Amino acid sequence: MNYMEEKQNNKLEEKVMGDIKGGKLKLRSRYIFLAEKLGVGSALTLSILLAVLFFSLALFYLKASDNLIYLSFGSLGFYAFLESFPYLLVVSLIVFIFIAGLIIKKSDLSYKKPFGYLAIGLIVFILAAGSVLAFTNIAEDIEQQSFGPGFGPVGFIFRPFLQNGLDERNGGIAGKVVEVDNGYIIIQTPRGLTKVDLSELETPLKEQLQAGSFIIAIGEKKGDVFEAHSLHVVNENDLPMIRRGVHRRFGLLPPVPGITGTAAFFTNGNPVNQ
Amino acid sequence: MPLPPNLTDEELVVIVRDKDQELYSEIIKRYQTKLSHYLRKFVRDNDELEDVLQDVFIKAFRNLYGFNSGRKFSPWIYRIAHNEALNHLKKHYKLDISLEEKEWEVIDEKMDIKEKIDSRLLKSKIEHCLSLMKDKYREPLILYFFEQKSYEEISDILRIPRSTVGILIMRGKKILKEFLEHELYGRKAK
Repeated sequence: MNYMEEKQNNKLEEKVMGDIKGGKLKLRSRYIFLAEKLGVGSALTLSILLAVLFFSLALFYLKASDNLIYLSFGSLGFYAFLESFPYLLVVSLIVFIFIAGLIIKKSDLSYKKPFGYLAIGLIVFILAAGSVLAFTNIAEDIEQQSFGPGFGPVGFIFRPFLQNGLDERNGGIAGKVVEVDNGYIIIQTPRGLTKVDLSELETPLKEQLQAGSFIIAIGEKKGDVFEAHSLHVVNENDLPMIRRGVHRRFGLLPPVPGITGTAAFFTNGNPVNQ
Repeated sequence: MPLPPNLTDEELVVIVRDKDQELYSEIIKRYQTKLSHYLRKFVRDNDELEDVLQDVFIKAFRNLYGFNSGRKFSPWIYRIAHNEALNHLKKHYKLDISLEEKEWEVIDEKMDIKEKIDSRLLKSKIEHCLSLMKDKYREPLILYFFEQKSYEEISDILRIPRSTVGILIMRGKKILKEFLEHELYGRKAK
């Protein structure tokens, strides 16, 4: 080291040590670093847990709502499928996976391994854990809390994500038949009673429609009437979200085969015999 | 307070943090020449170099509790120096890299440039070629050739996987050789 360099080094050392001794330069508290670590750890854990939960909710939605069944109509049902797709759930799932990935990438946790492997591991973990969670009743409980009588904070948070499963659609409808008449049926949906016009059916009905059946149809909403272009009778267990929605709306009312006319059903939007 | 002999950097940091902050001068002594040597690759002006180096030691001191004493101290403080150097480059016009005396010979040796040409010319060509390289290849090469850091340490300094360090150094050497051949003999770099 030459004289000039040594002199420069001493000057730098004196300056920094002078600041330390004079109290101008202080150590940042260890608790700040601890809080940072905890914050990063908590944010990562929370985002992974939420991604798992949202994946499980998305699976539940696809299984329990009318969404996937619209695909059984072939290309005709695609519009209704798109309309009833759980976009908010899927977007939220992607956002949480993205946040978890970002935290891993930006933190010291990951740089020793290629990020691609970690990202694949993260996604596989979320999908696997979400699938396992789908076997529990958590998603159904969330649905009940979102739409059922015990509406609370959980329901308040999750309702927007599941709402599309029960919303009205322009290209599809599902519900429980309460009246069959010439050229039309009346069905109970989670939103109320709807008249389904059968006069424009493009495919013949394979099964006899009767009160109490569950149906799913594609077509076009025209004012208060849904004009069906194709209609399937389904097992009510194939549409548990719709079935529960109907029961919440109308109670566990048995089908009323004897009733004629629709006026009785439309009194304040509720069935008179409830 | 007299320092025990053979005190490691990591042990010294723990003492500075918990017992005697004045011993930070020992850390400065141990690292200022090394870091100055490293920063010289990015900062040419002496006054600016001194400022950057001072910032490195100030940041390192302030964040000493952020250092995990179970790991090596050297990559940690080099990481701070590296970030400060990048910040400096963002603010200033990027000049050719400046190699110290004899450093160009390291490249000459590693690159196996057989023909003997004027050493001063070769030094300036190497500096220019290093400056032309993308940061992602240049940074590991500098740490590996000139700072004699291991792959593991480079991985810790640059926050990239160890396997990637190896790949970047290998590709960096190839690119540098191509650049040098082009500069020296007019062969077209691939």
